[in-house]
Amino acid sequence: MSAVPVAAPVDAGRAAEPGRWAAVAALARFEARRLLLSAPVLFAFTLYAVWIVWRTRSSWDGYPVLQDADRATQGGPLLVGLAVLLSANLAVLRSRRHGTEPYFGTLVAEPWRRTVAHVLAVVPAVLLTALGVAAQFTWEALKPGAVGHGSPAELAVGPLTVLLFGAAGVLAGRLVPSPVAGPLLVVVLLFTLVLGAAPMGGGEGSGWLLPVVTEAGGDPLPSGLLGRPAAWHALYLAGVALCVACLAVLAAGGRSPAVRAGVAGALALAVLGGAGQSAGASPSPELTAARERASVSPEKEQRCVARGRSTYCAFPEWTARAGSWAGVVERVRSLAGGAAARQPLLVRQRIEARYGLDSDSALDPLTAPHQVTVGTAWGGNRVPEFSTAVAAVLVGGDERTAGGMCDGRMVTVMWLSLGWQDDPMGALRRVRLDDSVTGSAVVLSPTDPLTMTAGQTDVVRELLGRPRAEVTRRVKEHWGELTAKGVTTARVARLLGVAAPEEADRCE
Amino acid sequence: MTTVSASGLCLRYGRNHALDEVSLRLSPGVTGLLGPNGAGKTSLLRVLATAVPADRGTFTVLGHDPATARGRQEVRRRLGYLPQTPGFHPDFTAFEFVDYVAILKELTDRAGRHREVRRVLEEVGLGDVRGRRIKKLSGGMRQRVALAAALVGDPAFLVLDEPTVGLDPEQRMRFRELIARAGEGRTVLLSTHQTEDVAMLCHRVLVMARGAIRFDGTPAELTAVAAGRVWNSAERDPGAKAGWRTGTGSFRNIGDPPAGAEPAEPTLEDGYLLTLDGAGAEVTA
Repeated sequence: MSAVPVAAPVDAGRAAEPGRWAAVAALARFEARRLLLSAPVLFAFTLYAVWIVWRTRSSWDGYPVLQDADRATQGGPLLVGLAVLLSANLAVLRSRRHGTEPYFGTLVAEPWRRTVAHVLAVVPAVLLTALGVAAQFTWEALKPGAVGHGSPAELAVGPLTVLLFGAAGVLAGRLVPSPVAGPLLVVVLLFTLVLGAAPMGGGEGSGWLLPVVTEAGGDPLPSGLLGRPAAWHALYLAGVALCVACLAVLAAGGRSPAVRAGVAGALALAVLGGAGQSAGASPSPELTAARERASVSPEKEQRCVARGRSTYCAFPEWTARAGSWAGVVERVRSLAGGAAARQPLLVRQRIEARYGLDSDSALDPLTAPHQVTVGTAWGGNRVPEFSTAVAAVLVGGDERTAGGMCDGRMVTVMWLSLGWQDDPMGALRRVRLDDSVTGSAVVLSPTDPLTMTAGQTDVVRELLGRPRAEVTRRVKEHWGELTAKGVTTARVARLLGVAAPEEADRCE
Repeated sequence: MTTVSASGLCLRYGRNHALDEVSLRLSPGVTGLLGPNGAGKTSLLRVLATAVPADRGTFTVLGHDPATARGRQEVRRRLGYLPQTPGFHPDFTAFEFVDYVAILKELTDRAGRHREVRRVLEEVGLGDVRGRRIKKLSGGMRQRVALAAALVGDPAFLVLDEPTVGLDPEQRMRFRELIARAGEGRTVLLSTHQTEDVAMLCHRVLVMARGAIRFDGTPAELTAVAAGRVWNSAERDPGAKAGWRTGTGSFRNIGDPPAGAEPAEPTLEDGYLLTLDGAGAEVTA
């Protein structure tokens, strides 16, 4: 045995456990920077920002309902998530692709710690997505016409999707050391998201296994009637994302009790969330009863406010819209004559909530006199549609009667509906189902549609081209005859001083 | 003082003995490791760099035993390793690559780490091109990036596996300077085919053949192996182990000289070739 002295162990100064995690954090920062600057992620975030601006600028015609606006934030992050998946996967495979893995294997940080760093590197992209979601939702919420309440759980879905996809990219890199694994996974996910969601149906239990469940349907519902297990879904997504992340660490050799406990805990979260959302996907008896009440006897759930001569009854989240509705009612009535010019109306907000978010059922017209239906959507085409409903009730007395109108009164209805508007021809086009201003057409309203013949369309178009004051004077002057049941379009045209149509009234 | 101590290291790849009972002690300074292809040099370096575990035998670096996970981490904290074919991330800049390695060596203080990365890049003469992507660097520059990565963190034990392969003479000279400087105060094990590198840099030389160490001594001692066994002649001597025509037109022979042969001054390479011959390895020149 040699007597040569052997150096004793020396304190490296970097051995402390907190220092090891500091190295993971440093590596995560390094990888996060590269991830955010990678071409797919840069491109996706640019596209995401453009999508937010493009969509939010004109969404809901400026009158967003926030319990729908929160769900609308979930689509854009899918693209970001796929890009993050791709880049995270390539980052994990980088050392293998370039032959540095054997060398890095001799360095202090073990592969599983590098994997933890790769997962953590996704977090800034998640936070950036959360910023995008917050910006999009805040923009909607700050619009003067915004009503309702957003759900933090629905808003969390976008960022959680990015976290899940990023973790999936890391796991795929650890399990399949091939550069085609990431792109292949992206294709599979796209296929599942685009094609897989449709057959399952958004609101079905199995549909909730996907990250994003949109459930786009008819008009917005009050937030209490949505019946979406959003919180359970967010918990499910968080659980799945954490589980995938922990599995990636496990696959990289991180077999510590903490990692195993992480997998078990995340799996428990995912199962708990999955079970919760599965149970919540079907409406409870209480929710069904509440939807029934809101659909059949909304007056029990609504608050009414008086504006001018009329009363406006709406679900609590929509009472702020009473001013907008009153503006339309007053303008329509200002063009009317006879008793209609002073007729108080009851404007009632109505919904069909019995079939859930996906349904797009039509509302039956009201039979009570002087009551007008208004929906939960507003702005854009909904304004001339409501205006037409108000005009029809002022002329016909009630919605049911107005819906069956098949004579010259339709000209008066359309004049009242369109005459006050800044762009009456544009409003005429928008309120007709076929977007035309000639020929016969179906005219939309919140309940049953009305019908215009080609002759009535010609007369209305002619009236809209004349000075408003002149037409208004004639309408008020001949109000009784113009609104008499059975009056012909030809007679109405003559009373209003325009050429009568050649064809007789004939309802289709 | 011994910084690295190995005893009875064995490593097999299938039926081949890559390492066969290798024992050695390394102390501060540059130790050269010579040997023909397949002698086991890279295997020994990979074991000492903790890239692969030995099948049998033990070794310690500064007293830490890499057989345990904890000990392995401690060894890696004190280790700088330049593999035979170091990979690079071509899209990284030189600074980013060395910084990445520094992070993997757990240098966590950002400002301090960046100072250290700049220092080693300056040390290997890449200070001016540290922001350039590696794919834009020449082969010699890339090799220097790898050396900088090995040097970052000021390791006590530096393992260099044929760092001068493929470099032109000027680059090799530059590398010799770097390695000589690296050997001041730390233990460097330099594997090479270049006997001139060993002659110029090393205070000690190991010769390996067939997985075992055949010589362990100073360069002068290796040279002395050939004392009296090198001679010049007008024609190739058929009794020589090896012989070749020199630039002067005469033949330089090594082996057992015939009577009356004109002796020549031996070199380290002569000693190396004769050591291999003694070990049963093929001698070619």
